[in-house]
Amino acid sequence: MASSQQSLETAAPRPFARPQPSVRARAKRWLQKNAMWYLFLAPALLMLFAFMAIPLFKSLELSFYQWNGLRPREYVGLENFTDLVEDRFFWGALQHTIVFAVFATLGTVGIGLLLAVAISRRVLGSGIFRIAFYLPVMLPMTVTAALWVRIYETNYGLLNTLLREIGLGAFAQQWIATPQTALGSIIAVAVWQYSGFPMVVLLAAIENIPNDLHEAATLDGVSEFQRLRFITVPLIRPVLISISVIQVIFSLKVFDLVWVMTKGGPGESSSVLGTYLYRKAFELQDYGYASAVAVTMFLIIFTVTYTYYRLMKIEAVEY
Amino acid sequence: MSARASDTSLMEFNPLRRLGFVPKAIVITLLVVWLLVQLYPVVFLFITSFKSDPQVLNAPFALPDPLRLDNYTRVWEGDRTNQSYLIYFRNSVVTTVGSLALLLVTSALAGYALARGKFPGSAAAQQIFLLSLAVPVHVLLIPMYFFLGELGLRNNLFGMILVYATMGLPFTIILMRSYFLSFPHELEEAALIDGCSRFGAFVRIVLPVSRGALASMAIINISWVWSELFFALAMLGRLEVRTLPIAIASYKPTSMATDSVVGDQFAIMSLTILPLILFYFVFQKQIRRGMTTGAIK
Repeated sequence: MASSQQSLETAAPRPFARPQPSVRARAKRWLQKNAMWYLFLAPALLMLFAFMAIPLFKSLELSFYQWNGLRPREYVGLENFTDLVEDRFFWGALQHTIVFAVFATLGTVGIGLLLAVAISRRVLGSGIFRIAFYLPVMLPMTVTAALWVRIYETNYGLLNTLLREIGLGAFAQQWIATPQTALGSIIAVAVWQYSGFPMVVLLAAIENIPNDLHEAATLDGVSEFQRLRFITVPLIRPVLISISVIQVIFSLKVFDLVWVMTKGGPGESSSVLGTYLYRKAFELQDYGYASAVAVTMFLIIFTVTYTYYRLMKIEAVEY
Repeated sequence: MSARASDTSLMEFNPLRRLGFVPKAIVITLLVVWLLVQLYPVVFLFITSFKSDPQVLNAPFALPDPLRLDNYTRVWEGDRTNQSYLIYFRNSVVTTVGSLALLLVTSALAGYALARGKFPGSAAAQQIFLLSLAVPVHVLLIPMYFFLGELGLRNNLFGMILVYATMGLPFTIILMRSYFLSFPHELEEAALIDGCSRFGAFVRIVLPVSRGALASMAIINISWVWSELFFALAMLGRLEVRTLPIAIASYKPTSMATDSVVGDQFAIMSLTILPLILFYFVFQKQIRRGMTTGAIK
């Protein structure tokens, strides 16, 4: 608006010859037209630049150095990465992370789907179930973890006490204090906390299925189970796939649960990439090596996430 | 099956409601069992926060007897090893409110520019936000630790606010952009014709109408900011700047002589989740809807 007015004013003294705007005037107009938008974007871009882009490259850079944070750092080329390949604890952490991601996803999405189907049948009190099953998702993972430490506690913990009282004392064990059960016990907590999330998402998808389909099928004598298998699941399949990928990505980043419950132990039996990175950096001050772990983690998670976003065409979202 | 279907009047036919008695009983039983599994630990958390340690150890399932508030008073007042809960609570509130405010302002501005502006580089900017959405923040921890140290923002809540707001940006901007894409042009255009600048129209017309969208952005982000541990644990080492998740994760029993080690920790945990639970009950519909939007899109 303002720019067109101005150009009219400058053109006024020479009414018949249309003035060719100078480069400066054109630049000025361009700026007037667009500068506002750059100012709108500036704070966000600056923050992303300073606190995401630069640290990202610094992290990559640091992974080629050996550094304890105090003495001058020493360039070691790819040594951190070759060490990583031979580090069995790193492979262990990677393996635990993948196991965690796979089973936490299967557990949360599987239970979430069952709950969503059950609730969609509008049985008694479905509103209460809907509210209650999402509640644990809201809790901080730190709280969940500290709470379950108490539940899993060997001598006085809730779980073992319960097992002994119902006569299954033989199953009582040191849930998070033995290498064999530590990781599994942590995965169970993740499933406990996060099943409500896929449930809510899948429930919304199930409720979008037109009722006519179920109606027609039922009139044709299709059973409950067959309707689930041939109508519900196929129709919500895109949502089922994306919620699974989201859970995988989320689980690959696990830190809080493991850190508070076992710190990756006993031994390294439940360490994941997040806790391994943390230990190397802030307990052993091996910042270069920890950065190499971080870079590996970045490559894995970024690839999975970005591929997923491309496939989902996330830029075309509707609010 | 078909017999049952045929004797139903078509007018009130709703197959989702129709379940035989036995399947219905099974479904309800399973739902109730899972309800117990989900809710009992949360109830246990609150109950335990009122118990002394001998009670916690000897009768974990029992109700507190006598009901003691000692854990809460101790946590409230603090002692030699552990700061008063109030300080952690204040730090968490400051960090959460600050991060959300900064996040909402910056992402509303950027989202609006992406939705409205046809300017050179708008596609590139959009691409940058999409790319940054896929960056796992863990990779930023170590450089950020030293960078904030250089800026003098380590052990500083403002540093945390900057970090959290940045972490929330990509996702929130993408959602704000889609919101503004569906926002009617007419409102702002009237203001622009009346001589309002773009920014003026944005602040005076667009933002007030978008209160609902801004609120849902806050709702989507509030619980992860309140719960964040990974960065906080590394950046906030000093006691007086610690947030609640750090207080819980690194809770240290005062001494073996006190009779409530577990109780104190559970009191802090109860006070930490209480605001979130109240918040959830007030906004549960918006929260679940927001999560569904956020997840699928």
